[in-house]
Amino acid sequence: MKILVTAKRVEDPESKIKVKPDGSGIVQEGLKYKINPFDEIGVEEGLRLVAKHGGEVVVVSIGGKEVQEQLRHALAMGATRAVWVNHTGPLDQMGVAGLLQKVAEKEKPDLVILGKQAIDDDQNQVGQYLAEFLGWGQATFASKVESLESEQEKNKVPALQMGADNKSVRVVREVDNGLATLECALPAVVTTDLRLNLPRYASLPGIMKAKSKPIEELTPAKLSVDVTPKVQVLKMASPPPRKAGIKVPDVATLVDKLRNEAKVV
Amino acid sequence: MSAGINTYKTDLREIFFTLFEQFGFGQVAGQAPFDAWGPDEARAVLQETYRFAREVLGPLNSSGDREGCRLENGAVITPKGFKDAWKKLYEQGFKTVAVSPDHGGQGGPIMLQVLIEEILSGANSAFNMYPGLAFGAAELIAECGTPEQKKLYVERMLNGTWGGTMCLTEPHAGSDVGAAKSTARKNADGTYSIRGTKIFISGGDHDLAENVVHLVLARIEGAAPGTKGLSLFIVPKIRVNADGSLAGGNDVSVGSIEHKMGIRASATCVLNFGENDGCVGELVGGVENVGMSQMFKMMNGARIAVGIQGVSLASAAYFNALEYAKDRKQGAHLSKWKDPSAPRVAIIEHPDVRRMLLEMKAHVEGIRALIVKLAMHTDKAQMMAGKDDDQAAYHRGQVELLTPLVKSYASDQAFRLCAQGIQVYGGAGYCQDYPVEQYTRDSKIFSIYEGTNHIQAMDLVGRKMGQAGGANFQQFMADVGGFIEANREHKVYGEAVKQLAAAQEGVMASAMAVLGWSQDPSKMTLIPLSANRFLNMMSELAVGWLLLDAAIIAERVGEKATGDEKAFYEGKKFSALWYARNVLPNVEQAARMMALEDTSSVEISNTAFGSI
Ligand SMILES: Cc1cc2nc3c(=O)[nH]c(=O)nc-3n(C[C@H](O)[C@H](O)[C@H](O)COP(=O)(O)OP(=O)(O)OC[C@H]3O[C@@H](n4cnc5c(N)ncnc54)[C@H](O)[C@@H]3O)c2cc1C
Ligand SMILES: Cc1cc2nc3c(=O)[nH]c(=O)nc-3n(C[C@H](O)[C@H](O)[C@H](O)COP(=O)(O)OP(=O)(O)OC[C@H]3O[C@@H](n4cnc5c(N)ncnc54)[C@H](O)[C@@H]3O)c2cc1C
Repeated sequence: MKILVTAKRVEDPESKIKVKPDGSGIVQEGLKYKINPFDEIGVEEGLRLVAKHGGEVVVVSIGGKEVQEQLRHALAMGATRAVWVNHTGPLDQMGVAGLLQKVAEKEKPDLVILGKQAIDDDQNQVGQYLAEFLGWGQATFASKVESLESEQEKNKVPALQMGADNKSVRVVREVDNGLATLECALPAVVTTDLRLNLPRYASLPGIMKAKSKPIEELTPAKLSVDVTPKVQVLKMASPPPRKAGIKVPDVATLVDKLRNEAKVV
Repeated sequence: MSAGINTYKTDLREIFFTLFEQFGFGQVAGQAPFDAWGPDEARAVLQETYRFAREVLGPLNSSGDREGCRLENGAVITPKGFKDAWKKLYEQGFKTVAVSPDHGGQGGPIMLQVLIEEILSGANSAFNMYPGLAFGAAELIAECGTPEQKKLYVERMLNGTWGGTMCLTEPHAGSDVGAAKSTARKNADGTYSIRGTKIFISGGDHDLAENVVHLVLARIEGAAPGTKGLSLFIVPKIRVNADGSLAGGNDVSVGSIEHKMGIRASATCVLNFGENDGCVGELVGGVENVGMSQMFKMMNGARIAVGIQGVSLASAAYFNALEYAKDRKQGAHLSKWKDPSAPRVAIIEHPDVRRMLLEMKAHVEGIRALIVKLAMHTDKAQMMAGKDDDQAAYHRGQVELLTPLVKSYASDQAFRLCAQGIQVYGGAGYCQDYPVEQYTRDSKIFSIYEGTNHIQAMDLVGRKMGQAGGANFQQFMADVGGFIEANREHKVYGEAVKQLAAAQEGVMASAMAVLGWSQDPSKMTLIPLSANRFLNMMSELAVGWLLLDAAIIAERVGEKATGDEKAFYEGKKFSALWYARNVLPNVEQAARMMALEDTSSVEISNTAFGSI
């Protein structure tokens, strides 16, 4: 089977993020970048699926030349080849989904795996748009029943279960009140949640092999996608500093405040 | 006992600077025999190693220390989580970065390997001993073994299937390896029956791999006394068939394990070989009485590895102390010391705390540079082999000369700097809630094993200085001299370079003094009395030179840098200036002390020391 997985370049959460004084964006200098952790989980799941069912994992990223670093990381983990959509400048979630749609139509994967969101803007939209644009089924927030300490996890058993003849996929989803299971006909779009798996480290031989794996370059123009954003970011600001907490004398006061001031119980 | 949290941290920017900007990884990588390597691969490998170190090894560091190893039914049980970490480490393959592709490695430069090792050891130095010894033993067999031995052992010991050890020390043969009493008797089938007791054997037994392959120094019956009569044997814990399958016990038993000050998660074993006459060994390479020179192949690597252990913990202590100092508030700023209502400041604002931190920073960076320089010479010697004999000999000579410096200076400073890390913390650092007390305990062994630092100092003054007719030492001094000449009038560093020049004169004068003593029997005792001091002087000269070299490079490449990058390059400047002003003058002073030819410590009678 062929699995297409996204690999977005995001700010490393260990870097200190500062908003520019004029609010036009964040200060990029000195920041470290990495692959979106949810995408990394997607790459891991894809690799486990092809280890079990055969096939290949193709990774895709959109951005300037620097996103090749994240593609190489996914290749070092074990993906077979990469697609790089070369684009700099503003892009909104629909633009991303539009580009991915064209890549998917070109690659014809059985499954597209994306992170449920990227940890930079935390939008949680692209997977859903993409499924809609492609007219495919979708299963968001893929998770699993077993814990991350389980034997299945240690043995790198995939959490997504393929149906007979690899025509469908069964996905356990993390939802507000627990887990829900969905069965989707393939091809389908799946987005990953945090507890789907523990991604592997890129191995030393993997890193060395990644160098010679192909990265195909595309552009929005080549894919005939108009990426003019429909959503504009007007201004960014840091959240206001957290106010000091207060001490309450007893439980009754606490319950009262929760009920009447915070209105949460 | 559950795995704790990771406390290991380092600055990859600094590591990248040393590798790429100071020592020109790009001039080594990409060329035969390192064709497959480039900066991108090196960067990716270091980043992934760092992540692995923090996520897998770091959380087991303090839990491993508290749990320690146990001996149960004659077998060593390592702390919780170690087995899983071992498996993961070998899945990653980081251990084989510089191993030849013939043995399943990636044929990369040693320059990169030493930095990978620093990161792995910094996160968990006790754990890293097990794969480290397996690696060293495998490399020895790869170099000295017969084709059959290579085929049977090397790859399995490099991929984690089997562990490995080096067995030199015996109850009466510590520094004096030649006093070893273990014996070997030749059997009809060409194997040898081994008998004897080895002590202090790191990783002498463990549950991480299915077998442990011991390299044992023993004397074949009738061989000469001393190191000349020692032979080296491959003695697996479990006998192995030619196809690598396990064949059953080999009469190797663990007598006991030591209870130690540090590296408590590394099992230090008493091993009994052949108590029931059932211990069989194979002669390494099939050659008798060359065991010591074969073992030196492993020991040279192991001595560098101990230097790496030193810098790894000193660096870990530095970054933890730095983080704490930026957070801990205590006392008012010096400018407001009389005002009791002045705001409390982070202790990093206090001049003395800054002094301690900069001292740690400068030493860590300079020692790392010395290690990477040594590794660069190893790589270049390999590149030049068969192409340019003079260049190859030069690089090999520098490796020989710098090895005792790396082993001793890094290990002595590691213990001192880790202890200084505790001082930065104050009372908190003395307690187990913070990692610096463990780093300090763990680092003490580095100056003792692999030949005590005095043995290293004697190796320097007794062997290495005179090696190749003194050419290696002269070349080193000429390299320092060339740097001084080129930078004496430097607008920023001119004064510091003059300080370096004065230190070099001090080292030169002391080297001449040592040479003079060696030719005058009445002054012979001055050599061991001064050896450690001389090694220290030469190390300080080397480190001072490399820090200034780094600073001048940083000034050039960092000219247009802004923000954090600018601060980084500025940091290189202050490391160099601090060391030049606060350490290099010690070298001149030490040279003056050498010239006093003080022998009071040998003149004083044993009774005068005290009546104990
Ligand atoms: C935790 C740990 C792990 C170890 N791992 C291993 C291992 O894996 N394999 C192995 O074979 N060994 C190992 N050792 C042994 C280690 O290499 C020895 O402890 C070391 O060589 C010193 O020998 P010793 O302890 O017998 O001390 P001694 O040799 O008794 O030395 C005591 C002191 O006397 C000095 N001294 C001794 N001889 C001389 C001399 N001729 N001239 C001047 N000074 C001298 C030494 O410098 C030292 O200060 C380990 C030891 C420890 C503690
Ligand atoms: C085992 C142990 C036993 C103890 N027993 C007792 C006891 O019986 N009774 C008791 O009262 N206390 C006791 N203490 C506390 C001990 O006296 C303090 O730990 C010590 O005074 C240092 O204070 P601190 O730990 O808060 O470190 P800090 O004051 O936070 O110091 C941290 C670092 O900052 C430096 N620093 C702090 N302020 C300044 C400044 N203004 N200028 C320059 N540098 C500064 C310090 O020199 C140190 O390097 C004990 C501590 C330990 C660990």
